[in-house]
Amino acid sequence: MTNKKFGILLMLMVLFSMGAKAQSVSSVRLNEVLVINEDNFVDDYGKRHAWVELYNDSPGTVDLRGCYLTNEKGNPTKYMIPKGDVLTKIAPRQHTLFWIDAQPTRGTFHVNFAFNPDGENYIALYDADGKTLIDEVTIPAGQKADTSYGLDVDGRGTWKVLGKVTPSTNNVTLDSNAKIENFQQNDSIGLGMTITAMAVVFIGLLVLYLVFKQIGNAAINASKRNAQKAAAAEGNVAAANAGTESGEIFAAIAMAIHELNDEHHDFESSILTIKKAQRNYSPWNSKVLSLRQNPVIKK
Amino acid sequence: MLTSILLQAAGASESFIEFLMQNIQIFLSYTGFANATPGHIIMLLVGLVFIFLAIRYEFEPMLLIPIGFGILIGNIPFKDAGLQLGIYEEGSVLNILYQGVKQGWYPPLIFLGIGAMTDFSALISNPKLMLVGAAAQFGIFGAYMIALQMGFDPSQAGAIGIIGGADGPTAIFLSSKLAPNLMGAIAVSAYSYMALVPIIQPPFMRLLTNQKERLIRMKPPRAVSQTEKIIFPIVGLLLTAFLVPSGLPLLGMLFFGNLCKESGVTRRLAETARGPLIDVITILLGVTVGASTQATQFLTLNSIKIFGLGALSFVIATCAGVLFVKFFNLFLKEGNKINPLIGNAGVSAVPDAARISQNVGLEYDPSNYLLMHAMGPNVAGVIGSAVAAGILLGFLG
Repeated sequence: MTNKKFGILLMLMVLFSMGAKAQSVSSVRLNEVLVINEDNFVDDYGKRHAWVELYNDSPGTVDLRGCYLTNEKGNPTKYMIPKGDVLTKIAPRQHTLFWIDAQPTRGTFHVNFAFNPDGENYIALYDADGKTLIDEVTIPAGQKADTSYGLDVDGRGTWKVLGKVTPSTNNVTLDSNAKIENFQQNDSIGLGMTITAMAVVFIGLLVLYLVFKQIGNAAINASKRNAQKAAAAEGNVAAANAGTESGEIFAAIAMAIHELNDEHHDFESSILTIKKAQRNYSPWNSKVLSLRQNPVIKK
Repeated sequence: MLTSILLQAAGASESFIEFLMQNIQIFLSYTGFANATPGHIIMLLVGLVFIFLAIRYEFEPMLLIPIGFGILIGNIPFKDAGLQLGIYEEGSVLNILYQGVKQGWYPPLIFLGIGAMTDFSALISNPKLMLVGAAAQFGIFGAYMIALQMGFDPSQAGAIGIIGGADGPTAIFLSSKLAPNLMGAIAVSAYSYMALVPIIQPPFMRLLTNQKERLIRMKPPRAVSQTEKIIFPIVGLLLTAFLVPSGLPLLGMLFFGNLCKESGVTRRLAETARGPLIDVITILLGVTVGASTQATQFLTLNSIKIFGLGALSFVIATCAGVLFVKFFNLFLKEGNKINPLIGNAGVSAVPDAARISQNVGLEYDPSNYLLMHAMGPNVAGVIGSAVAAGILLGFLG
């Protein structure tokens, strides 16, 4: 029995940890990389360097502190993202940029390695344990200056040379609401929405109806069986409507029992006594249900 | 010498009086009298009408009193001098309380309380009544189509249409996501018409039914076992939320509250949810929704259109429910037929819509009690409108 309980607890813990992972640092993705920066984004010092953009693909804020960036496959802990900087937090579905300039003294977002502009480059993000790989990408050699290599859809999709460079912003610019435009174009009178939505509402409640019809039938059959068993034990025949009796019948029986027990009785519930009742009245303790009563000294 | 002192004193007192007058003028410029506009007066009158209806005719007093008084609070005119007074000023007390409406977390808490106080027995014992609850949701989409024709964009039309679900929390929840700028008008419209169902519904119920139909007697619902009552919220959540995950905040809380009630082992949780918690949230929700009708933000042509559409959506929902029952009866055997007077209860104004079925039914047959039967579609309407809200949010959000 103890083992069973322990097993259930363990299973729940595993399930919870799986759920928790959805909003942890594992949701961060390498999103866009610029290897050769000649006439592009500048850092706080007014200098141009290669950069990598990270994207938080989750609905919760993620903190990158303590995680690692590296450009060597055998050395996952090459650059630790410093702790104690609030800017390492990435808001939901937002980005942050790291400068690949081998100048870590310039701040949190300047790593201690640089890309090779003439060859293939590798970059990876590791979790704070220094072992768990979160994301990695190999950037092919021959990158053009001021042309970035990134995911065609933020946080997902496939890596390719992007048509435009978008540091710290979405790779796909969201300048319209496709859903609404679709409805405006194809369903201007709302008939499509009405048919679809009413169908879904009906299907939902129809499924509930069918399920509860079966559950109801099962409950009625179970009640009938119980009634038959009880009747057989007493040598009687079960009533034909066993299990389907109206709630009104039970309400009437309950009312009759209530009347019998509480209304028509010979003995009153109150107690007559000559003992002094302990009731030190004060407006502050009159609400005996919610306030402490006066302490009584036992002699 | 003396003359010069007197002259100086006179000059000083003159400037002091001028200073006093200026102060009084500044004070007056801050009063409500100086800042009142016809819009404020109109809204104050609306608030007073709400309070009057609630006290005199007892139309949903739990809603109309907080909303009506909220309208008074929200429409006291004041000078916008950054004093953090108004509901739309960030950091003001009212604004902080309003966040529960704006961010949409009051409605799921209300649903928790509704779940903890709703007895789904009528629905479980006669599950076909769920379909009546589904049919009445046509009010939402009928209003959606009309709103589109009136020039609202699809997301605004969806938010307006949900008024037809006759479910205040759902209307607030959806409009806070789809059309936050219309939320005040939508919320006030939804709650107002919910309070006015005793006036809106009966004429259409009478219009669409004949004497024979109004006299239909339905089989008394069977007694439902506790096991069935426990299974209902669990299966209900799994089925509806899997179908429409976007309805999860409302459906999840509704069914959770119901499980607390029916499980029999969490009595304290259920009592808190259906008692103090729902009362607190109702107070905050009602007052802040009322206060959000600040005339400067609220009195627009769109608000008037929304009020018109809201009334229309209630009418459509009522008619759809009644007509669906009549249609459904064509396929039901004699003895299993449904009284179409419970069709109106498919809108989820719980329990007012069911009470109307009962009252109208009693007018034609004083011994035909429809209340228990009407509670079936009524609570199915709550589920249906939450599902419909989830669909609209999924499509347009």
